[in-house]
Parts: sequence; structure tokens; C-alpha cells
Amino acid sequence: MAAVDIIITGVLLGGLFALVSVGFSLQYGVGRVLNVSHGEFIMIGAFITFWLFSSHGLNPLISIVVTAPLTIVLGWALHATLFRRLMDKAPSVDIFEGQSMLASFGLLYIVQNIARIIWGSQTYNLTFLQRTVGGSLLIPLNRLVAFGVIVVIGAILFWFLAATRLGKAIRASGQDPTTAGLMGVDIHGVLAICFGIGLGLAGIAGTLMSTVLAISTSMGLQYTVVAMIVVVLGGLGSISGAVIGGVILGIVSQLVTYFEPTMSFIAYYIIFIILLLARPKGIMGK
Amino acid sequence: MLQVDNLSTGYGRTQVLWDLSLKVDEGEFVALVGANGAGKTTLLKAISGVLKPWPGSGNISFDGKRIDNLDSNQIVNLGLSHIPESRKLFTDMSIRENLEMGAYPRRSWRERRKTMDEVFELFPRLKERANQLSRTLSGGEQQMLAMGRGLMSRPRMVIIDEPSNGLAPLIVAEVFEILKDLRKTGITILLVEQNVRQTLQIADRAYVLENGHLALEGACSMLRESDHVRKAYLGM
Repeated sequence: MAAVDIIITGVLLGGLFALVSVGFSLQYGVGRVLNVSHGEFIMIGAFITFWLFSSHGLNPLISIVVTAPLTIVLGWALHATLFRRLMDKAPSVDIFEGQSMLASFGLLYIVQNIARIIWGSQTYNLTFLQRTVGGSLLIPLNRLVAFGVIVVIGAILFWFLAATRLGKAIRASGQDPTTAGLMGVDIHGVLAICFGIGLGLAGIAGTLMSTVLAISTSMGLQYTVVAMIVVVLGGLGSISGAVIGGVILGIVSQLVTYFEPTMSFIAYYIIFIILLLARPKGIMGK
Repeated sequence: MLQVDNLSTGYGRTQVLWDLSLKVDEGEFVALVGANGAGKTTLLKAISGVLKPWPGSGNISFDGKRIDNLDSNQIVNLGLSHIPESRKLFTDMSIRENLEMGAYPRRSWRERRKTMDEVFELFPRLKERANQLSRTLSGGEQQMLAMGRGLMSRPRMVIIDEPSNGLAPLIVAEVFEILKDLRKTGITILLVEQNVRQTLQIADRAYVLENGHLALEGACSMLRESDHVRKAYLGM
């Protein structure tokens, strides 16, 4: 049953990748911010969850009510102060994309080093629901629970974007910000909220990550890289593409880990390059 | 209702409009005609706040309130709606969602269902396809959606940029019929068109723009008889 096992754990891991990537995709696809520091806020979410659990005994799933609002407000504030200014001063969108990437590189180091001062550079493990279910399939319960939370969060996000006034404004702004402005959308306000939601998804992903994997203050960058691969794989700015891309990468990761654990990152890049050559606009690209 | 005084603006260092003044009274249907590159679209962008007037170059006011320092989302809130050139639809959204986006200002959002029924009455073909993606519409239907979306905020004045652009002659005639229907509703209209002959038939007054300067202005009946307009725009 090894094949079924690999696919199931791959999909479960893929859900986490998808959550990380959808947040990254919202920030880039709507706001054109190439947020290299995305993974650092996963790390922040993970450590806050770990701290609340180890010092206050708080159930890691409940700490989402702390990590999500915190990262949403942080993202909103970062956009309203830093990225909005860069956007107003940049002569073109292309230049803004480059500058936003450099600025978020700066953020990456600031956040990571502050975290290292507080928590050091060792790895931590949070023991949560460490048993398996599904009989002979041996599905880790904590991964299954994390996946369930992701499905719920995904459904809420989908409803928000599809059915609410603000959600529609976010989608319209992603397609054509100037025309959205003519419709009455306050672009700066909407982009800041959208960036906050993107970072909030990173915070939630961090919480879930801490329940299934070892965490360390240097864990962030690898997930930023995962998000970049998934987003290019799924099509820039496509949310459904990010979901599909995340799941594919999760399965690949488990498959490679099964045979040769040290090779997983090399495998990501090989797939990334093959897909880029075969379908440069991504799976859901137009 | 709309007043533009001594406006100069452009892109980067390239000046497009030179010391331009015009006004549109409440209930009037005014046209702005001119060749490609005369600065018509630039003027509309300056009015709706997409483009700022150059510093110290005069001002734009709507209902006596200065609007040249406002952002476009604030201007539409005042009841001035800009229906942009080449439709600019949200192509990944359905027709219904495009119309809903038009009703984005809070005041009109509450009435969006009622307004949408009114827009569907004006454009019955949009109603049949309400749940289709807007990019599946034909060129003429897309223009109708762009106009319907521009009306969803229940504006008191619309500025419409080249609604006949890129459409087949039969559809162009249909668009002009719609413009006639629109004026019957009493809404104030500023229309930019390259189709000078038909435009001078339906508007009250017109301004002729040449190379960023105002060349002529007057009642359409008078401009139709002007030698300059006949030679340069009507091919007579």
C-alpha cells in the first residue's frame, strides 16, 4: 500500500503548500508585491503557536484566533506604510515589482533576525495528536486535522472572494486597478486589506505547520520558495492554479522523500523547469 | 454642472492638453470631437481623476466643488461616472458581477438589484447572459455592458469615451440609438467620438479638439454648417 500512502500524505502536505501559495498569489496577483518575506510570517505563526502551547498550554488549533488576526493586521500595516509608498513613487508597475521584492528581502532579514534573538536557531517540536488513523493506511492524525482546517479556511476564502462586495473589489483590482478605481474602489485600501489577507494565510499556515513538522527560525525561506514554484506552476495570479500546483508539489515531495529524502528540493526545481518549458503560463494560465 | 478651466496636462514631460476650458450644463448632451491623438481621452481621464492636471494649471469642478485634487473613486461617489475607452470590462467576471462592480459606491450598492433591473430593461441582451463571463460577449454587447456598468452607480452625469470604436456599422447605429435613449432619461452626457457626422446629429453642443487645443465650439446645428468642420471631419 506504499503508493496509496504516499499519495494521501502527499495531498495532506500539498494542502499546506496550497495555503501558503494562495496567500503569496493574492499578494502578487492583486497587489504586484513579490513578497519574498512571506515564509517569515509562516515562521512567526508557527512560533507564536508553539509559545502559546508550551507556556500557556493552549491548543494549537485555537491559537489560529491569535495568529490569523495578528498577521492580517501586520500585513495591512506593512502595505499601508511601506508598499503603498513604493507604489506611489514607482514610475511603472515593473519597477514597483522589482522594488517590492528588494524591500521584502529586507523584511525577511529583519523578521528572521528578531526571531533568532528571541528563540535562537535550534529546532522545536510540538507534540500534537501524534497517532495514525485509517487502519493499515497509517494516516497521521495531525496532518489530517491540519488538512481539514485548510479546507474550511479555503471555503471561507472562496466565499469571501466570490460573494462579498470587498471580495469582488479585490478580484476587480487584480484585473484592472485603474478601472476598479473608476467604479469607486479605493485601490490603496483594498490592496492593503488584500495583502493582509495574504499574510494572514501565511500566519494560519504557520500555526498548522507547527502541529505537523519541526520548526526553526530559519524555516521560512523554504516555504517562500515553495510558494514561488507553486504560483509559477499554477499560473501567476490564479488562485485555483495555486491550489492545484500546491497539491501536485506535495505529492512530488512525498514521492521523492520516500526514495531519497535529501533530493526533494532538487526534484522541485526539475519539475519547475520542465513545466516552465512545457507550459510557460502555468496550469491555469490563459 | 461640469466646468474645466485652463487645464493643461500630459504624460511624463509630454504635454497633451494646452490651456483648455469647457463646460457642460445640467441636462445637456455635449460632444467632444476630434482626430486620433487630439487629446480627447486625456481630457476625460483628467476629469475622472485618472490623470492629474499639471500643477498650477487651472481647475476642474463638478457641481461647484473642485474635483481635480480627488482620486477617481471619490469622483464617482459624487455622481460623475466615466465609461472608459475600449470597454475595460473585468473579463474574468460574469456580466452580473461587472454590473455589481459598477454599483460599488455604498449608496448605490444598496440599490444594486433595482438598478440592475433598470439596466437590463435598457439592454435586454445582457439579462439573458447575466451569468456568462464578460469576455464571451460580442463587441457590441461588451460596449452595452460597459455602458450599463457605468450607469450602475446611478450617476447624474456620464462621460463616455468612444462607444462606437471597433464596432460594425450596424452595431454603431445601435449604440447611437442607445445614446438617444440615454438622453431621454435626463442624465447629463459628455461624449467623446470620432464618428463626427452621427455625433453632431444627436448632441446639443460640441467642442472640436485639435492637437490639444480647442479649435471650435458651438451648437451642433451650427458646427454642421461650418466650413472647417465640413472639410476636416465630414469629408465635404
